[in-house]
Amino acid sequence: MTNHKILLVDDDPNVLEMLLSIFRRAGYTNLQTAASGAEALRIWQKEQPSLIVLDVMMPEMDGFSVLKEIRRTSRIPVLMLTARGEAEDRIEGLEIGADDYLAKPFLPKELLLRVGAILGRAYPNQNEVVQLAGATVDMANAEVLKNGEKQTLTAKEMQLFEKLYRNAGRIVTTGVLCETICGEFWQGYESTLSTHIRHLRKKIEENPSKPVSLVTVKGLGYRLNLKEVSP
Amino acid sequence: MNSVQRFFRRYIFSTVGIVILFLTVNIALCFAILITGSMSGTDASFSVRDFSDHVVLRDEKWTADNTALSMLQEQSAWAMLLDEDGNVVWQQNLPENLPRSYTSAEVASFSRWYLEDYPVKIWTRADGRLMVVGYQPGTLVKYYFSLEWPYMGVMLGGIALVFSINLLLIVFLILRNTRKVEKAMTPILQGIQDLSRGSLHRLDEHGELGEISAGLNRAADYMRKKDDTRAEWIRGVSHDIRTPLSVVLGYASELEDDCGLPPDARKQAGIIRRESEKMKRLIDDLNLTTKLEYALRPVRFKEVDWAETSRQAVSEVLNSGLDRRYEIVFAEMQPGRSVHLLGDHELLQRMLDNLIRNSITHNPQGCRIAVSVGEKNGRCLCTVSDNGVEIAPEQLKALNRGDNIASTQDSDEKLEHGLGLKLVVQIVKAHHGTISFSGSTPHGLEVRISLPTQPLIS
Repeated sequence: MTNHKILLVDDDPNVLEMLLSIFRRAGYTNLQTAASGAEALRIWQKEQPSLIVLDVMMPEMDGFSVLKEIRRTSRIPVLMLTARGEAEDRIEGLEIGADDYLAKPFLPKELLLRVGAILGRAYPNQNEVVQLAGATVDMANAEVLKNGEKQTLTAKEMQLFEKLYRNAGRIVTTGVLCETICGEFWQGYESTLSTHIRHLRKKIEENPSKPVSLVTVKGLGYRLNLKEVSP
Repeated sequence: MNSVQRFFRRYIFSTVGIVILFLTVNIALCFAILITGSMSGTDASFSVRDFSDHVVLRDEKWTADNTALSMLQEQSAWAMLLDEDGNVVWQQNLPENLPRSYTSAEVASFSRWYLEDYPVKIWTRADGRLMVVGYQPGTLVKYYFSLEWPYMGVMLGGIALVFSINLLLIVFLILRNTRKVEKAMTPILQGIQDLSRGSLHRLDEHGELGEISAGLNRAADYMRKKDDTRAEWIRGVSHDIRTPLSVVLGYASELEDDCGLPPDARKQAGIIRRESEKMKRLIDDLNLTTKLEYALRPVRFKEVDWAETSRQAVSEVLNSGLDRRYEIVFAEMQPGRSVHLLGDHELLQRMLDNLIRNSITHNPQGCRIAVSVGEKNGRCLCTVSDNGVEIAPEQLKALNRGDNIASTQDSDEKLEHGLGLKLVVQIVKAHHGTISFSGSTPHGLEVRISLPTQPLIS
């Protein structure tokens, strides 16, 4: 259950209906819809949502124009949806200031994952606690609670953990993780990454030599497995 | 030298050859005419010298024998013999109106010209007398030719000079004309070649051949318009399909995850979801392959980490939820070594993604897919192999020949459309690389790709 207010904008009522269904099922309760660019701007000004899912191709006022208008005064997170799937569109969208970009058709999981990642970055949850098999991580304080013992994560470990957490259940490649801690020119930092991962495992794994939460995917990278919550 | 230049070079050589042939034939003909003329002339008659030998002084009296008389008779000619003083000492058939005595001036005159319209030939005998043979008027032409040597020299030199100048002028004019034709024709011929390759830069429509250039421009416009229409159509169709497909994919996925539904319904929703994903891939492939084919999407060459790009492509496939029947093994040929190439990150990722998915699609029973990447002799290598179904040798041959890949797929509707592999080949070509298909051991398909680290980007 999340209280973030999401504004969904698409001129196709079927798509809007489906988006509503996806977000509702994922636990989002505060949802608004708009069927045109002008309506989206009106609702945005009135309701001040936490995030906008914005379709690019709409009659009269397209998504890019809406985003430009919004970006004149606001940094509200925006995820663009497009039916064109052109790389140029994506570049244009990101240049104008979109936070992410998703081409239609998309899997609901992918949309939710991206929306979750944007929200997590834009509104760090003060009480966000990540449940792992052998520990819990307090994201706001960068603290790990394992066997009743508290340990603090270093800045680099926290950066790594956050990247893995935002992509939980998915493989994050060595290059992407190195880039997260070292920036664009990350080549040659693979051993540094291994060191940070080893330290992180010591803090979050019950048995660091046999990791179950932060697992290595041979040759590719790492994956963070969250604790499975029984329904 | 291209074919157009070769054509004009050959044209010049052949024209010069024609001129040389023309001159040779003309000289040969002149000689032939001269020889024929000399052989067919009336001089077949007799020589005055021979005739003179048949006129002798016998018993103080000049007489001609029968041979001499028959010679004269044949030609209706007359003859006279003059002594040192110019008096006629013997004559035969001498016309009455002709004098019987001649001064030295008269002898000098008729020896060069005519004697009262009678063309004459003379012969100075050994005894100092002059034999004169006269022919009927109109049977011989006499022309006296006399030139001073310096003038003759100038004239002969002049003739040679005029001949040489003419020859040079002909060659110059041939070359000039050929050059002009070449200048006018080269863009048109080049345009035809470009058109056959599917591209044409606009030709100048001025000049004598402007109409042909305009025709080519129209043909190029027509081709471009057709290409644009086709690309636009595909883009439009793909756009129009994407939105409804989003709804299908979204709801199917929702239903598949809905624990409140009976298992059969969830299974069916899963099938709809998977088929919708296939359609999504088809649209993406169709769109990208069209764009690459019609150069609507530029290849963005940037420094790319080859191993990391491959890792991301493999991870994407695994992250998208791979069925348990499949296993993907990723390996680096030189672990830990950083390999870079100039390439389009997005396209290269797509290439690997398509190769892996090709193995998945063609092996519904499941298989193990091995992806290995590395570098050798300045080239980035990649091998994607599976231990799935064996591929027919004819199909392998067709793939390696570069036949239309979409048509190499058999008509089994379970199989993919073939666009995925076509796209792989297009991407490899765009990176100036090579691709080869072979069977893997003990069975399955192996695809090897080799890309230059620094492709020559045009």
